[in-house]
Amino acid sequence: MSGVPFGRRGFLSGVLGAGAGALGATALTGATAHADVSGAAATPSAFPFHGPHQQGILTPAQRSGLVAAFDATTSSRAELAELFQTITARARALTAGGAPGDLGISGPPADNGVLGPGVPADGLTVTLSVGASLFDARFGLAAQRPAKLTTMPDFPNDALRRELCDGDLLLQICAHNPDTAVHALREISRATRGGMQPRWRQSGFVSPPRPAGTPRNLMGFKDGTANPDTSDGADMAKLVWTRGGDGEPAWTTGGSYHVVRLIRMLVEFWDRVNLREQENMIGRRKDSGAPNTGSSEFDAPDFVHDPSGESIPTNAHIRLANPRTAQTDSSRLLRRPYNYDNGVDPNGQLDMGLVFIAFNQDLERQFAAVQKRLVDEPLVDYISPYGGGYFFALPGVQDPRDWFGRGLLA
Amino acid sequence: MTFAVTNKFGAPMDVYLADPSDGAVYQELEGIGAGATLMTTVTLGNGRYRFECFPADESAVMGPTVTIGAASGISGTTPAVRPVTQADLIPVAKAYQAWVAGRLPVLRSQVGVLASDVAAGDTAKAKADWLTAHLTYETLGAAYDAFGDLDSAINAAPASDVPAAQDTNLTGFHKIEALLWSGAPAPASQAAVAGLLHAVDQLITQFATVDIDPNIIALRAHEIVENAIQFELNGTTDAGSHSNLATIGANLVGANETLNLLSALLVNRYPKLSSAKAALTAAQRLVTGFDHAGTWTPLDELTRAQRETLDAQLENLVELLAPIAAICDERVASQ
Repeated sequence: MSGVPFGRRGFLSGVLGAGAGALGATALTGATAHADVSGAAATPSAFPFHGPHQQGILTPAQRSGLVAAFDATTSSRAELAELFQTITARARALTAGGAPGDLGISGPPADNGVLGPGVPADGLTVTLSVGASLFDARFGLAAQRPAKLTTMPDFPNDALRRELCDGDLLLQICAHNPDTAVHALREISRATRGGMQPRWRQSGFVSPPRPAGTPRNLMGFKDGTANPDTSDGADMAKLVWTRGGDGEPAWTTGGSYHVVRLIRMLVEFWDRVNLREQENMIGRRKDSGAPNTGSSEFDAPDFVHDPSGESIPTNAHIRLANPRTAQTDSSRLLRRPYNYDNGVDPNGQLDMGLVFIAFNQDLERQFAAVQKRLVDEPLVDYISPYGGGYFFALPGVQDPRDWFGRGLLA
Repeated sequence: MTFAVTNKFGAPMDVYLADPSDGAVYQELEGIGAGATLMTTVTLGNGRYRFECFPADESAVMGPTVTIGAASGISGTTPAVRPVTQADLIPVAKAYQAWVAGRLPVLRSQVGVLASDVAAGDTAKAKADWLTAHLTYETLGAAYDAFGDLDSAINAAPASDVPAAQDTNLTGFHKIEALLWSGAPAPASQAAVAGLLHAVDQLITQFATVDIDPNIIALRAHEIVENAIQFELNGTTDAGSHSNLATIGANLVGANETLNLLSALLVNRYPKLSSAKAALTAAQRLVTGFDHAGTWTPLDELTRAQRETLDAQLENLVELLAPIAAICDERVASQ
C-alpha cells in the first residue's frame, strides 16, 4: 500500500501541535474504537511519545505490528538502566521521525536506510514491557515485581513451545507500514547489541475492514467488536491501567499488564467446517459480525432472551469470554491483536493465526479469568496457542528527560 | 546542511568537505560521474571548511575556505576524521604479512605432527593435534584473500548435502575432522592429511611472493568477527569435533592482531578505540572460559544464558569494530 501521504503529515502535526498534545491522540483513539484502520484520513502520521501511559496501548492498531522478546545480557542494574535509557532515546527519536545525524566518514551509516533518507515517523509506536524473569536475582528487583506478573502458565488447551515464550523484555513495535516497524526493530537492536539478545519475535498485520467495521481475523470473523471503548477514561482506569497501592509497587502507576499469545489457527480444518457450526462456535454471524441474536455488528449479544443457547450456544466463544453479567464486567480486557502468516509446517499446512495481544489492569482478574472460562470451548479444536508470554507495559515516559523504567530502576 | 555537488570535469571525481587546517574530512563523495550532481548532508558547527576536489588522473583543486562562526548550540555535528592514506596503510599490511609469514612454519610443523599421529594410528593424539593446527590456521583471518584457492584446499567448510567424511570434493582440515571424529581408524585420514601438508607447503612458497592488499587489514578487523558469527557461532563448519568455540577464540586472536597493528592510526581517529579493545578482551576472556584443558564446550551444550551472553558480546564487539573499515578506507590527504 502507498501508506499515509506525506502531505497529510504536516496537516495532522499542525492539529496535534495546536495545544492538543496527547489529548489529540486520545480523541482520535476514541473516534476509532471500532478500529477503522483503513480510514487514512483519521490516521495520524505520528503519535506522541511522552505521556503518563505508553503509546501502542490505546493507540488504534496500526496496520503493521511486531512483538519481539529479548533477554537482558547486562551484568548489573546500572547497565540495565543504561539499556532502558538507550531504548528510550531510540524510541523517542524514531517515533518522532526525522533524518538521523550524518556520521560522515567516521563509520557506517547511522541509519539502515530502509525508510529512505528522511525517516518518516509513519505512525510508529514503540511499547516496552518487562517479563517476570527480569525480577529474578540478577538485578535485585524482586521486591519491585508487579504483583500479578508471573511466567505465563500452560493453560489446559495450550501447546506452548517455551523457546517461543517469555523473556525479560518485550518490544511491541507498530506502524502504518511493515518496513517502518522492521526499521525500528533493527535500529533499536543495533543500539543495544551488548545489552539484550532476541529470544523470539513475530510480525503481524491488521486487515482492512471487509467490507466495513472491525477487521477480520484469518478465520474470517470480525475480531474485536466488543472491545472496551478506549475513549472512555473511566473504563480505561478500571480495565487497563495499573495503580501503585492496591497491592502494586508504587512505580507501576500508569502501566498495564501486557499479554501476548501466539495462536496458530488450523485454517485448513476450519475451512472444512459448516458455516452454522463456525458461527455457533464463535457466537457471531460470519458475514456481518452481528451476534447470533442480533442483526448488525454492534448489536449487543442478547443472552437474557437466549438462556439455553438456542441462538448463541452457552459454550460459544463470545459468551464464555464475556458473559456480560455484573460479576464478569470487571474481567473485560482491551484486545489489540494482529494476524500472522508464517509459511508452512512439516505437513505442508499453512502456519498462520493470531498474535493475540491484550492489555489489562490485573492479569488474574481479567486475562486469566477469561482464559479459564474458555477452557475446552469448541473452538479449541481449531486453534493451538504455542507461544507468547506475560509482560508488564511500563508506565509512560513523561518528558524529554524521563526514561522507560526510571521509577523501577532509578 | 545539504550541498548539491556537481562534477564539471570530464572524468569521475572524488570530493571531500574538509577542515583546511589539518585536512580532516567531514564528508566525502566518491566517484561522482562526469556531469553528475550528488546531494550530501552534514551538520556543521563553528569552524573553517573547504571543498577539496580530486579528479581522476588530474591534480587536486581546493575550494575557497568558508568560516562558520555564528553557530551555537548545535548538537550532533558530523565528526571530522583525518584521512588514512596508502602510505599509512602499507606499513600495517607489511607488518601483518610478516606476522602471518611467521605463523606459517608453525602451522607446517603442527600439520607434520598430525601426519605422524595418523601414520602411527593414534586417533586420540591426532584429534588433539588436529585442533592445535586448525586453530593456528584460524588465527590468520585477514590473509585468506591473499591465500587464494589454497584457502579452500586447506579449510573449505563442509557441504550441506553430503556427509563430510564421504565428500570427495572436500579437502583439508574439515575433511580430516570428519574422518577422525567419525570413528574411522586414524590411517583412513592419511591421504587427506598428506593433501593438507602439501597445500600448506604450497602456501608457504606462494605467500612469499604475494603482497597483502593494504586496504584489507582494516576491513578484516570486523569481517573476521562477522565470519565467526556467521559460520562458527551457528556451527555450520562443524564436521564432528564440536570445536566451534575454540575456532571463535582463534578468530578473535586474529582480530586482535589486526586491531593492534591499526591502533596507531586509530588512536586519534576513532573515539571508541578503547571500547573496541575492551570488548575484544572481554569476548576473548568469555570464549577462553569454554576451554576445559583442551576440551571445548560444544555449542549445543551452552545454556540459554551462556548463549545469549556470547551472542551479545560478539555482536557488541563487531559493532565497535565496524567503523574501523570506514575510517581506514584509503583516502588522499590534502595536507
